[in-house]
Amino acid sequence: MDYDMSKREVKLDRELSELDNFVIKFIKLLKNYVIVSGYVSILLGRTRATEDVDLLVPKMEKHDFISFWRKVHDEGFWCINTSNADEAFDILNEHAIRFAKKEKPVPNIEFKVIKNDLDKFSYDNRIKVILAFENLYISPIELQIAYKLFLGSEKDIEDARHIYSLLKDKINKEELISSLETLGVFNKLGLLENGKY
Amino acid sequence: MVSIKDIKVDLEELNKFKSRNAKERLDFIDWWVNYMKNNKDKKWSEEQNVIVDSQID
Repeated sequence: MDYDMSKREVKLDRELSELDNFVIKFIKLLKNYVIVSGYVSILLGRTRATEDVDLLVPKMEKHDFISFWRKVHDEGFWCINTSNADEAFDILNEHAIRFAKKEKPVPNIEFKVIKNDLDKFSYDNRIKVILAFENLYISPIELQIAYKLFLGSEKDIEDARHIYSLLKDKINKEELISSLETLGVFNKLGLLENGKY
Repeated sequence: MVSIKDIKVDLEELNKFKSRNAKERLDFIDWWVNYMKNNKDKKWSEEQNVIVDSQID
């Protein structure tokens, strides 16, 4: 694995998991997106399973969403929330909608529209992950670490620790500190280094 | 059958265990990252995938 901060690229020669293949199949249906939260740490080597993959997309016009909806279903996915495209579009304005392989509830894609400055920052500053046959886009490493500390469960802290431990020599320390401060978790910095507050 | 109400739990001891367990989990993460850095992506990811895909049919 190699992370080039200046190019905003991670090169990863990993063996793809079934989860990776599930994500890749789905994101091929999208022009623009950013993957955030738990799957980022799993893609980067964290040893745990997950039932969902969080995806942010720019706000869609209804006709674009309907077109996307058809493609998703043609490719063998279903929406867990509803089978009605109009209803799904309405839900998407307020909440996430979830897509999974037909007749299966997990794993699923938690599909959300960019709604706030934090989402927008993740999207605008996304990192390209170069795999053997596909590229994926993930949220900025520094923000990802801070966000996981903000979420704060044992699992999230471990995700943060994993990414930090893996890339601490290559990330932008000032950006990390700014991200921690923005999310109000600068006091949790010690969890990354020594496991203490 | 003994009821849960009849069991005496040393909460101080249990909390120590909880803290120790959390630290050991973080220590393992550091160990795993070190393992990743010292092995090719193909090797560690093949091993990781056993866990990642364990909940997928």
